[in-house]
Amino acid sequence: MEREKIAIDYDRVDVARIMEQIKEKTAAEAGSESLPSSTEAAPLSGIDFTAGQGRARRVLLKLMSPFSPLIKLFTLPVHEELRRAVLILDHANRRIDRLEKEREKLYRLQEYTKLLHHLCHNLVIEVSKLKIEEETLKTKARILEKDFESLGKREKALEKELLK
Amino acid sequence: MKLAFVVQRYGLEINGGAELHCRWVAEHLKKYAEVDVLTTRAADYITWKDFYRRDEEVVNGVRVLRFPVVRPRDPQRFGRLQDWLVRHEHQESDELRWLDEEGPRAPALIQYLKDNAGSYDYFLFFSYRYYHSYWGIKAVPGRSILVPTAERDPVIGFRIFQDLFRAPRAIVYNSVEERKMINDVSGNHQVPGDVVGVGTEVPGRYSGETFRRKYKLSGPYILYLGRIDENKGCHKLFEYFVRFKRESGSDVKLVLAGSTVIQVPSHPDIHYLGFLGDLEKFDALDGAELLVMPSFYESLSMVTLEAWALGKPVLANALCDVLKGQCLRSNGGLYYETYPEFREALSLLLGSPRLRGALGENGRRYFKAHYAWDVIEKKYLELLSRMEKEKGV
Repeated sequence: MEREKIAIDYDRVDVARIMEQIKEKTAAEAGSESLPSSTEAAPLSGIDFTAGQGRARRVLLKLMSPFSPLIKLFTLPVHEELRRAVLILDHANRRIDRLEKEREKLYRLQEYTKLLHHLCHNLVIEVSKLKIEEETLKTKARILEKDFESLGKREKALEKELLK
Repeated sequence: MKLAFVVQRYGLEINGGAELHCRWVAEHLKKYAEVDVLTTRAADYITWKDFYRRDEEVVNGVRVLRFPVVRPRDPQRFGRLQDWLVRHEHQESDELRWLDEEGPRAPALIQYLKDNAGSYDYFLFFSYRYYHSYWGIKAVPGRSILVPTAERDPVIGFRIFQDLFRAPRAIVYNSVEERKMINDVSGNHQVPGDVVGVGTEVPGRYSGETFRRKYKLSGPYILYLGRIDENKGCHKLFEYFVRFKRESGSDVKLVLAGSTVIQVPSHPDIHYLGFLGDLEKFDALDGAELLVMPSFYESLSMVTLEAWALGKPVLANALCDVLKGQCLRSNGGLYYETYPEFREALSLLLGSPRLRGALGENGRRYFKAHYAWDVIEKKYLELLSRMEKEKGV
């Protein structure tokens, strides 16, 4: 594939513009790079050398035996590719495991946060109730105070009546 | 005005990172103010063992006061603790234990700050993550200026640092990305600060030809300067470069210089030259087609600025937001995230001297506009005068 040219205005070099073009170019290349490797791998991986049964299979294997080194030669890069793919998958799996653990931790944290939220909510309700109760008690205290005052006045009035 | 620069290590032998940054700024600001450096006796950043014997000396015209490290670091214990902390929920007390383990523990330095707070107008603390900055800023918060030199590594999320980033009078950032990261993790938007960075000392004469002759290098080469370490992305660089050579058939070589932490692969076109002195470093840059910067974590990358100062383009790891941001702002380099991007960017750069020239020139202009020493000095002086005015109010 012919490489795309990167347009550069040398009088006013703009790094951001150059990097955009490099990114576009490498992104496109990465997409097209994956195609040949998969198509190369497909015909070889599609061959089933153990296919067939009984006599026909034995004959086929016997016929193919002189070519076995050649077949091995062709299949080796596939093995290498497979090995690399397995390594990448293994790496990805490990990463997923790690992330899974992290996710669990975060989930736990999320649950704790929810509980804390409920706790705060309940505390607010309780504090509101206490506030209301306090107000009621204050009102009751004021009434009792007034009662006490009026009883005092009444007492004084009665005392005056008795003295007369 | 009297300034104190507080840093974990200081000396001519220490040539990299925040320590060199501190030394250069101190040496440049001594023209405008009386400057003292307050540091430890350590030279080795792994163990912090006392190395310098004298309590006081003058280094390049700057008075340096050194304080002993009471307990060297046990790297393995520290590593285990850090690993545990970044993976588990923990308390602030665990983080303080981590800070103690990290060191360099120099309580005499902190005591000196407390005792002499009134003797200096401002204390400039370099590197946020060490003992001296955390306890030092707590000792003199009203007079402290922090130069965090922070990278995007996990410890920046520690709770103790949220308070630390809110405590100083001002913060001097290395890059826009560093400022955003620190603002995001600590919400310290109210702390005044400026993006300043650091300049570099470009020698008057340098020659790529001399370098090529000395090391018998023929043909084009790309250069990596710095610690050869996994954190610096060198393993990926080796992998990509070897693959690039195999696929492209290019005659380019990879030349590396710096201390090694990981092994350099044996390859006919990978040349490891050991540690280079300052002059040779610029010779190497002059001879190179470009500088490659594969690091994942950078707060500024002084070597990238040095390449731009010489008009050399850069190929940087885009997974480091600072490097990517610097390339975009300067238009002085390309970047990559994956191998295909690395291959395309490198092919493009190697195949087009005109593009290399244009990017290098952009880099040079960017360096002059933002990182020349007169610009850096001016930014520091403006920040100090702003603080003086605020103090008056």
